[in-house]
Amino acid sequence: MEELFICRCEEVTRQELEQAIADGAISMNELKRWTRAGMGLCQGKTCAKQVMALLAQKTAQSPAAVKPATTRNPVRPMQISYMTKEAE
Amino acid sequence: MRKVQAIVIGAGPAGLAACIEIAKAGGKAVLIDENAKPGGQLFKQIHKFFGSREHRAGVRGYDIGSQLLKETEELGVEVFLDSPVYGLFQDPQGIMVSYMHEGQEKALLGEKVILATGAAENALTFPGSTLPGVMGAGCAQTMINVNRVLPGKKVIMVGSGNVGLIVSYQLMQAGADVAALIEAAPSIGGYGVHAGKIRRAGVPILVGHTIKRAMGKDQVEAVEIVALDEGFQEIPGTGQVMACDTVCIAVGLTPLTELAWLAGCEFTFIPSLGGHIPIHDENMATTVPGLYVAGDIAGAEEASTAMEEGRLAGIAAAEALGLYDEITAAPLKGSVWTRMDALRTGPFGQKRFDAKAQMLETAKGGKE
Amino acid sequence: MPEIKVKNHRVIKHPILSEDAPCDVSIFVDGKEIPAKAGEPIAAALLASDIHIFRQTAKKGYPRGIFCGIGRCTDCVMTVDGQPNVRTCVTPVRAGMKVETQIGLGRWAE
Ligand code: FES
Ligand code: FES
Repeated sequence: MEELFICRCEEVTRQELEQAIADGAISMNELKRWTRAGMGLCQGKTCAKQVMALLAQKTAQSPAAVKPATTRNPVRPMQISYMTKEAE
Repeated sequence: MRKVQAIVIGAGPAGLAACIEIAKAGGKAVLIDENAKPGGQLFKQIHKFFGSREHRAGVRGYDIGSQLLKETEELGVEVFLDSPVYGLFQDPQGIMVSYMHEGQEKALLGEKVILATGAAENALTFPGSTLPGVMGAGCAQTMINVNRVLPGKKVIMVGSGNVGLIVSYQLMQAGADVAALIEAAPSIGGYGVHAGKIRRAGVPILVGHTIKRAMGKDQVEAVEIVALDEGFQEIPGTGQVMACDTVCIAVGLTPLTELAWLAGCEFTFIPSLGGHIPIHDENMATTVPGLYVAGDIAGAEEASTAMEEGRLAGIAAAEALGLYDEITAAPLKGSVWTRMDALRTGPFGQKRFDAKAQMLETAKGGKE
Repeated sequence: MPEIKVKNHRVIKHPILSEDAPCDVSIFVDGKEIPAKAGEPIAAALLASDIHIFRQTAKKGYPRGIFCGIGRCTDCVMTVDGQPNVRTCVTPVRAGMKVETQIGLGRWAE
């Protein structure tokens, strides 16, 4: 296994992320949409830090300037049935 | 919708301590946690804690956990387990917390909300890092100390901070063989006491080394490690292959901040505390009215400081709810600060002390 | 170091912790019966039976097992009683549970 899987959930490699950055991605939102890194079941809990560090390094941004992708409700994967069965 | 005075999210040391303080002040706090059992990561910590006597130094993590649980129970704190929180919504009367429980979506309204969601272990990427057998050091610690199963027989530990050192020793206590502990930096990251223990047990500590790859067909069978120069570049020709079935990664923690981002908190970036941290003041209050943070979410430290921050947030929330007047609250908060400052001393503590001081400055700046 | 006793990957005797409780139930992993303790995480029972490969990934078909052990990374998901994507490291064992190696994203039982 030679690949460098940065996003374990979506099996996104370092190379794919670097390609997306070379293609012009400058934020976590773009990287997420373009590569699916951070869109897996864990919702980026495992990969976000490494993706942010890579993005900062490759785009010469300070790590402080790189913000996580936009957080939206629900922050946890949930079954659609949860939404339809509203509690009394 | 049911409305309560305070909702605390996360039943680890910080969350439990916060609830205890609110209940002691005569307030009604509800504690919500996604896990089946409360205690967070306290129950896997079977070592004795450092610090002063008020910190129950010399007491083991799980005993502190049991004590906190007993107190929450005696004080009648309501605890919802198996309840992952997935959303926070601003409401004119407070903050609405949405969570899932038994296949249903539920919500509670809290006048004050304390986030004590903790942190996650950092991952490391190398060829073979997704092979079964590669895991967080905390994962191995949970397996041996809480679940009492060995994830493997022969372990390579990556990272020589306190977590790497302590878990190496605990793996040996549980009957595993630690083949080596490797550290990319030129010196050991954690306390000498911990390092000495594993060195005396015969574990080689290889500083200036990193893992190059994990090898194996369907699970880890060996790793290749290489020496690094001062610029953290691989020194050619130094590769060596070591047989093992488990690789443990102990390279730091990152605060779990999604809910704080969702709530619209302002953040600051402090690498020594784990990265992006919700800005909080001397009361652990964030920039969002009514929202507090405590424990690793406010900067990854350790269980003792998490507990103190939980107390502080609890007392401050109780004061904001009018359960304490200023005169009563001030000395209570003061004594927490004294204990917390004591925990943030020494070569490692000082760094955290400075980082937290920087945080308070940022919080002040934001208010002016 | 004091005497340590490991049996079937379980830490029976530990220098600090009390004696370990014995297995009291069984579960079925891909049809095979294995011993387990009611209430322990499914992942613990699997490791105790020397099972380390919990699923195959969707894109590459690579093997995965436990990684975080506390329900955060979702690497350990399997199909449990017909429900896919169940985190085995935080889901307690119940007697007779049917646990299956998950292939890709898994499928719901009919
Ligand atoms: S590791 Fe990237 S989403 Fe889980
Ligand atoms: S091992 Fe990470 S969720 Fe189970």
